[in-house]
Amino acid sequence: MNKQLLGVIDATTFHEGLEDLTIHRSLAAVPFAGRYRLIDFILSSMVNSGIRSVAIFPKFQYRSLMDHLGSGKNWDLNRKRDGLFFFPSSDINGNNDGFGCFQHFAENMDFFDRSLQKYSLITNCYTVFNMDYKMVLKTHIESGCDITEISKHGQSLGMFILKTSLLVELIKNREETGYTTMKDVVLDINHNLKICRYEYNGYAVMINSIEKYYSTNLNMLEPNVWKQVFLKDNPIYTKVKDEPPTRYLKGSSVQNAMIANGCQIEGVVENSIIARGVKIGKGTTVKNCIILQKSQIGENCVLDSVILDKDVKIEDDTVITGSITKPNVIRKGTVQGALIKS
Amino acid sequence: MVKKKCVAMLLAGGKGSRLNSLTKTVAKPAVPFGGKYRIIDFTLSNCTNSGIDTVGVLTQYQPLLLNSYIGIGSAWDLDRMDGGVTVLPPYSESSDVKWYTGTASAIYQNMNYLQQYEPEHVLILSGDHIYKMNYELMLEYHIEKGADVSISVIEVPWDEASRFGIMNTDSEYRITEFEEKPEDPKNNLASMGIYIFSWNVLKEYLIRDDKNPNSSHDFGKDVIPLLLKEKKNLFAYPFKGYWKDVGTVKSLWEANMDLLDENCELNLFDNTWRIYSVNPNQPPQYLAPSAEVFDSLINEGCTIEGEIERSVLFQGVKVEKGAVVRESVIMPDAVIGKNAYIEKAIVPEEVHIPEGAVICGDPSSNEILLVTEELINELLTNKL
Repeated sequence: MNKQLLGVIDATTFHEGLEDLTIHRSLAAVPFAGRYRLIDFILSSMVNSGIRSVAIFPKFQYRSLMDHLGSGKNWDLNRKRDGLFFFPSSDINGNNDGFGCFQHFAENMDFFDRSLQKYSLITNCYTVFNMDYKMVLKTHIESGCDITEISKHGQSLGMFILKTSLLVELIKNREETGYTTMKDVVLDINHNLKICRYEYNGYAVMINSIEKYYSTNLNMLEPNVWKQVFLKDNPIYTKVKDEPPTRYLKGSSVQNAMIANGCQIEGVVENSIIARGVKIGKGTTVKNCIILQKSQIGENCVLDSVILDKDVKIEDDTVITGSITKPNVIRKGTVQGALIKS
Repeated sequence: MVKKKCVAMLLAGGKGSRLNSLTKTVAKPAVPFGGKYRIIDFTLSNCTNSGIDTVGVLTQYQPLLLNSYIGIGSAWDLDRMDGGVTVLPPYSESSDVKWYTGTASAIYQNMNYLQQYEPEHVLILSGDHIYKMNYELMLEYHIEKGADVSISVIEVPWDEASRFGIMNTDSEYRITEFEEKPEDPKNNLASMGIYIFSWNVLKEYLIRDDKNPNSSHDFGKDVIPLLLKEKKNLFAYPFKGYWKDVGTVKSLWEANMDLLDENCELNLFDNTWRIYSVNPNQPPQYLAPSAEVFDSLINEGCTIEGEIERSVLFQGVKVEKGAVVRESVIMPDAVIGKNAYIEKAIVPEEVHIPEGAVICGDPSSNEILLVTEELINELLTNKL
């Protein structure tokens, strides 16, 4: 257990700009790249880096997240020892206490006390990346730093490595020190903890607005980007579905697109990400769109620069457009028939 | 052990030698089908969708991949507290090692497996066919008819009837005669190789068959004829729907192409009767700006830069720029090199088609070309 990491994922974050997608689900459970949820990237990175014990601290709307994670089987985290732990907040007032909230951790102190892993990795739940934490841990140990903060282009990625014993101390002494989150600790200069930075060179984007969500999704269409995220030896795991392969029917034309399984495509798709089980009818054009799972688009529609959330039904002959800088977001489960423009 | 009403025995040891190199290292039930599945997925999914939760899978020929594929059966929801899936390989006894010499001997040697569940009925299946069937309805029929044995049958075209085992029945579907590949068929009801036996009858006849030195220990050739001779209650269960034996390269190709037929009775998109399989967990398929895809079935993990027409592509296939794939089946992780042209062919798993290669089934004989390593080597040598 000497060189082992304990994974701690803060899934309490709520971004106001992402309301359209997070009204029914936690940010960690927001669908991404056709078949994933945001949490899959951090969870898979952890598992592929040899982390065997992961604690998730959710707060808002976590039903969809629990449904997605289940027993942790899809990430090989349904273990007899260690595995996946779920610690929802007991605070139902809806206060957003900030990332890495020590109060929330303190409510589950016995978990940290019981864990044998010498080091802990505290991360956010909404970064799209595929990182090998073994390297980060090695650097952390060699540097002799108390806390290593991972950054990209000098900006914090909201990921910290520290000794579990130090984390326990920080949580237990939170009232004396006044530190409520990890951020408080690294920003304070009046302590004698040695804080270091680890600069990450790979692809990593934090999804904190609709525009970021949209552009990062479309980014996946660039081979040099998806080759950094979807690695053969370090796959991104997700909840598997038994969808059949995607069927391209007569009359379909698809270019520059990422398409998940279980779709039935009769129309034209360009520069878009299509999630599992989507239907696109005859004569319909879908361009610059992110279509989430099981949405059904009728015949002779035009969709340009639109994010369709899950289970949206678009009736025949409907035109919906947004713009590349401001995509039109259609909320989950709605039916769209009229002419809508933004 | 908890008593079970019906236990399924799935014969999965077949070599499928007419599939040539496709079954060189795997048993026929493990051959890839339909862009994501293996043939056995259909039978296992039928079991779980029919509410049968206890399945013995009898393996013999090249079992390595099949064993690891089936695992504990979780892909088909068959990892159960009681029952679930059990792989049953041949085993040795104090006296000698007993290979499964025929379908009946395979079941006979696993009577202890069946006995522990004290089933009322035993469903015998083969892992060689592509079809969707509710075995529960057949079991209801079997019980209603008071049958000792029920045999599932399908109407085949009269001119093809002589290729099948044909059941001659009376108007109530009581079987009066069984003819294996009759020259002059009296009926067109072909056996699908699916049997439901009442356990007591099965037990008795398997023990007797084992003692008969002249028996080839086969259900169709030995056990069913003896049951008929002794005037047992045998009923044909008429099945309607898609059913295909994919025993040859041509029929495997045809069954894959059937999936592209809009009127095909085998609907993989039917939510109420899902075909389950071990999911490969690969990223979504990527269709490059240069891709052209028409009328095809494509699985996750594929990267398409070329042109695909009327084809079935399994997970992880890569089609490079300028390559054309027509009316073909491309199995997992195969790579179609730049500007290669493939028509009417099956490309097996992990095969790499070299740049610019032209691979085409013979259009005059309408044969389907199964790409082999020898063929690839030949192409590479000719090029040099």
